[in-house]
Amino acid sequence: MLSEYFKDDVILFAPEVSGWNEAVDKVAAPLLKNGAIREGYVEAIKKSISSPGGTYIDLGGQVALAHARPEAGVNATALSVLHVAEPFLLADSPDHPITTMFCLAAKDSNTHIELMQSLAGLLTDADKLKALGEAKNVDDLKKVLS
Amino acid sequence: MKILTACSTGLGSSFMTQLNIDKALKELGVQGVETDHTDIASVTPESADTVFVGRDLAETAQGKNPDVVVLNSLIDMKEIKEKVAAALERHGVEVPNK
Repeated sequence: MLSEYFKDDVILFAPEVSGWNEAVDKVAAPLLKNGAIREGYVEAIKKSISSPGGTYIDLGGQVALAHARPEAGVNATALSVLHVAEPFLLADSPDHPITTMFCLAAKDSNTHIELMQSLAGLLTDADKLKALGEAKNVDDLKKVLS
Repeated sequence: MKILTACSTGLGSSFMTQLNIDKALKELGVQGVETDHTDIASVTPESADTVFVGRDLAETAQGKNPDVVVLNSLIDMKEIKEKVAAALERHGVEVPNK
């Protein structure tokens, strides 16, 4: 199921990023490029993260699920992922170190149920979560996400 | 009984948490509990018997519903199972596989 979404260039690896803003830019870039989202969606994600309570996208295990409302600029349900070797701080908060950021574009609050089930299944699997955290390159990520 | 999960947008983190709670209910052997996800602004005392939120919405959620449960991690099944089981028992639901 996840492999349907993780095609082409939506799996990204970086040794480090300058901060959460750059992480959002990087992870959203492939979805902007393939037309799944519009520019306003990226801005909405950043605004949401910098707002009070914006770190709610921290799922735990150094994984974040960046997303905003569909009306902020979603054309098609899509997913991308960025893994960085060096943790960055979500909303500049030391309580929220992140190494893996998914970017979710959902057309509405229910049609992405299969996608979310697959993602939930992956992230609640301790072995897979560990492999995700230890990924050294795009190929390692593809193995976990396929 | 109804368990609601909430996050700021009501469709990403809260949806994932709902799915994980569904999984926990299955593992705990509990049937007949309704689950749903929503945005935090829509939560009312009538929305559900229990509302699960991530730690960063703890303050926002307080007072919106009489029973708010705060999760440190939305993907840690051990924590989710423990807190779901506790919530069920608070509301008089028997938990067979605790």
